[in-house]
Amino acid sequence: MGIDPRVAGAQRYSVDLERPGMLHAAFVRSPHPHARVLAVDASGVPSDCVTLLPDDVQDLHLYGCQVRDEPVLTPLARHAGDIVAAVAAPTAEAAKAAARLLDVRYEELPAVFDPVQAVSPGTPLIHPDGALSAGEAVSIGVRPLAGTNVCHRFRLVHGDLTAGFGEADVVVQQAFRTPGAAHAPMEPHAAVAEWEDGRLTIWTGTQTPFNLRGDLAVAFGLEEERVRIIAIPMGGSFGAKTFVRHEAPLAALARKAGRPVKVVLDRTEEFVTLNRHPSVIRVRLGAKRDGTLVAKELDCWVDTGAYADCGPGVATKLGYAGVGPYRIPHVRVDALAIYTNLPPNGAFRGYGAMQSIWASERTMDVLAERLEMSPLELRRKNLLRDGDVFATGEVMHDVQFERCLQAAADAVDYERDPRGKGLCVLLKGMQTPSRAAISVERAGVGYVIRSAACEMGQGVRRSLQLMGAQMLGCEPGQIDVPEPDTDTSPFDTRTTSSRSTHMMGRALEVAVRDLRASGGERGYGEVHNEGGLDPDTGQGVASTHWHQGAAAAHVTVDEETGKLTIEHLHGVAYAGRVVNREGAELQNEGSMIMGLGTALFEAIEFADGQVTNANLSDYNLPAIGDLPKRFTHELIEREGAEVHGLGETVLPPVPAAIGNALFSLGLELHELPMSAERVLAAVDARDARAAAADSAPEARVPVAVDGQGLSG
Amino acid sequence: MGGGTAVEWLAPSSLEEALALRAERGGDTTVVAGGSFLAILMNQGFVAPTSLLSLGKVQELRGIDVVDGELRLGAMVSHRAVERDPVIRRDWPVLSRAFGLVASPRVRNQATVGGVLADADYASDPPAVLCAVNARAVLRSPRGVRQVAIDELILGFYETCIAEDELLTEVRVPAALGPAVYRKFRSRSSEDRPCVAVAAARSAGRLRVVVGACAEVPQHYPDVCAEGADGPIDDAVAREIGAVYAKRMAPLSDSRGSAEYRRRVVAVEVRRAVEMVGADGAGNGAGREGAGGEE
Ligand SMILES: Cc1cc2nc3c(=O)[nH]c(=O)nc-3n(C[C@H](O)[C@H](O)[C@H](O)COP(=O)(O)OP(=O)(O)OC[C@H]3O[C@@H](n4cnc5c(N)ncnc54)[C@H](O)[C@@H]3O)c2cc1C
Repeated sequence: MGIDPRVAGAQRYSVDLERPGMLHAAFVRSPHPHARVLAVDASGVPSDCVTLLPDDVQDLHLYGCQVRDEPVLTPLARHAGDIVAAVAAPTAEAAKAAARLLDVRYEELPAVFDPVQAVSPGTPLIHPDGALSAGEAVSIGVRPLAGTNVCHRFRLVHGDLTAGFGEADVVVQQAFRTPGAAHAPMEPHAAVAEWEDGRLTIWTGTQTPFNLRGDLAVAFGLEEERVRIIAIPMGGSFGAKTFVRHEAPLAALARKAGRPVKVVLDRTEEFVTLNRHPSVIRVRLGAKRDGTLVAKELDCWVDTGAYADCGPGVATKLGYAGVGPYRIPHVRVDALAIYTNLPPNGAFRGYGAMQSIWASERTMDVLAERLEMSPLELRRKNLLRDGDVFATGEVMHDVQFERCLQAAADAVDYERDPRGKGLCVLLKGMQTPSRAAISVERAGVGYVIRSAACEMGQGVRRSLQLMGAQMLGCEPGQIDVPEPDTDTSPFDTRTTSSRSTHMMGRALEVAVRDLRASGGERGYGEVHNEGGLDPDTGQGVASTHWHQGAAAAHVTVDEETGKLTIEHLHGVAYAGRVVNREGAELQNEGSMIMGLGTALFEAIEFADGQVTNANLSDYNLPAIGDLPKRFTHELIEREGAEVHGLGETVLPPVPAAIGNALFSLGLELHELPMSAERVLAAVDARDARAAAADSAPEARVPVAVDGQGLSG
Repeated sequence: MGGGTAVEWLAPSSLEEALALRAERGGDTTVVAGGSFLAILMNQGFVAPTSLLSLGKVQELRGIDVVDGELRLGAMVSHRAVERDPVIRRDWPVLSRAFGLVASPRVRNQATVGGVLADADYASDPPAVLCAVNARAVLRSPRGVRQVAIDELILGFYETCIAEDELLTEVRVPAALGPAVYRKFRSRSSEDRPCVAVAAARSAGRLRVVVGACAEVPQHYPDVCAEGADGPIDDAVAREIGAVYAKRMAPLSDSRGSAEYRRRVVAVEVRRAVEMVGADGAGNGAGREGAGGEE
């Protein structure tokens, strides 16, 4: 045992891969956000290089995890950074140099960079032929709107909205925005692809080995068994290494070269590979005078960028998470996943939940102020409890929202003095439907546990060792957990949405029972979670178990500069039962720190579709000095409960808790990040309102202003 | 990097040799000190030098000395060394403070006094404070030596008066006679560059206030500061100086803040800096602990 191999520098990542005879790849990327490739001239490329040009991929197919809209090399660049050709050379430097010698001629096309604008009439279509629904690979039916840039529309209808607002004594409405963000894992995307006898093997850091296998089989027109994915431990991912990214052009290049080819993206390329969905969310919320919620309407514009990727899933999850953990009899959600000419946006720790929770939980405080009610009391009054029916029609079990919320409030002594303090409580789903399988074999000493659960620093290997040791009656160190390999690991949907410990733990129990029943040598276990939501009504099973959490923030503001100090941030996650305490605490801390970056300063900036801060000097990540003065968190457990996922739970509530803390000081923030400049503008706006109220004391100035200049 | 071809690495071990190479090779070779600025430009493909002249082995450039009360910092002294040196901490605390507010320890171990002045990045911390304490840069070539003030050295965005055959070898800082502060206002992460940087120093009845990170070059208006000549500076005067700085400046916009926002912050931060140095008389006392920053 001894030192963690990651600390000792002994862990091998995909950036460290070597294969005999390997070449190195560089991608040629479009400098234009929307442009047709007219011609590619490779005559200047040295003869020891292999080039991959549009003609080389004529036999390949479009792929995509939810919508088949992505080509291996694109003849039509849909974002600045889209891959139009590739080069393999003996060294990475030579490949980069050769890529610069490829001469590509483009015809530029009009482009669109804002999701609200992208759905207004007359905007250029980014996938004019429409896109195919991927059918079986998807967890939800995809509902593109023909002739528009909408690749998916998710709707949820619960009760009768018009009647609901009719019953309301108070209605507030507000629009909120969130920008794109970078996952910024320490290790960039990297992989090696190799073909042998028509069989493709890829070693890559991925969270989704089986999805990758399936999608590449589609792209290359192969049986799934002819594609093998070996999932190397990742140096961080946070959602960045999901589905097909660099692997498709790399595999095509290796096919052409007839040799293994490796690629390592540089930091600039990371910013055009996969980001977080920018969003615009408009909330309308109605309540009775006593604070009983009666109606809620959410309109969401979710910018999925140039390709759908899992944008339909993100829009869906964002849509229902925005309802919040409340009993609301009348709800309507309309969430659009929209193509724009920005780099593709995909899974990002929280999977859309942060965006809509930011909007919805901020609106709760606006409503509380209008009702002259405590935000804590308003929430408590409406929280879902055991046996209540959620807007999706699901009956809620093991409901812990009130405990989470109360714990957060108590941590900052909210009830004694709420000034400068803000709360947020959340509900978030887990990937549903999903399937997880695992096998256990007796080894010389101890056991081997095989699964496709991928290690990205979250400690899934450790969790499997700990759970296995307990069930099998051995030491954690006697359990070997080899890296996922689609040839030998049993099927798993994917390592996302904080599901692995929960799903794999249950599958492992089955596998261990099987091992005991069948002679002690070998056991196999599989669990299925059925469900899914109807995309047109939002009814069904959103999640087989719920991620429940809360956060509280206490802030002070330098009102002359807008600079904010977080005096205290507290996060609460419902864990059910804790498997690996240290690991769980690190997940809480990591989630909260990522939430702070999102709340305070992270934003990918664009000028005409070009990322203008594609490096970690211009794009700020939270540093140790950015931690709140007090930074605390807790895991809520319940005797006899099942294991609940918690890898993301306390990220989504952080921005709203801070935003609500500012709101308690009269500072209204509607857009992330809450930069010092925006806070100062909010100070000015508050002072202007106060001055107006002074000059006309009888006219009460409304706090909530209607939709901020939304054209859609 | 350089298109797959090896980059020449020149590593002279004496100043004489370094100056000779610099004079001989001029623009064909790029000087590298800590490399923290240059490496970013190279990784991003903005520059692709074929030859690098490293000053890493030149021991003569690593000195921290006090000669006749004047501080002499060799060009290769790291930010971390300025931050931690006991003599600088005692006698020029504002310098320790300002260099210690740069980025993170990782960057400060690498970044050098010469590098930060020669790269002339508008958003660096040290130029404003060095300018406020009347530091001079020593430029050397086989042709001779000259000393230039910081506002003569830095001419514009990434532009200095260093000639193609010259090296910046030293920075000289006069004895600190009065209180001085450096306030680094960051609008984003604690490891970010400044959005607005204000250095103020008072000595022998003179007040100097320099604003960095807001324009191409550090900004200062001696006529405005003349107000703060003798005796304690009262709050109204501090406020007035802040207001005039904000009004007169034409701040730039970047992702740390818009021009309009910077103007607001300049008024506040200049006022606060002046209040801090103005409180204790005409500034003839010992260098007061250079507090400041947002804390
Ligand atoms: C992540 C990060 C964060 C940062 N944050 C801050 C910050 O908050 N505040 C701040 O002030 N700065 C910041 N910086 C900038 C950093 O301080 C500079 O990169 C550094 O000072 C440059 O010093 P260097 O020795 O590494 O220079 P180098 O990169 O080696 O050289 C810089 C330039 O100066 C030239 N040069 C160097 N030495 C000489 C010499 N003696 N004579 C002539 N020419 C010379 C080189 O040719 C080159 O053009 C940050 C940098 C990084 C990487």
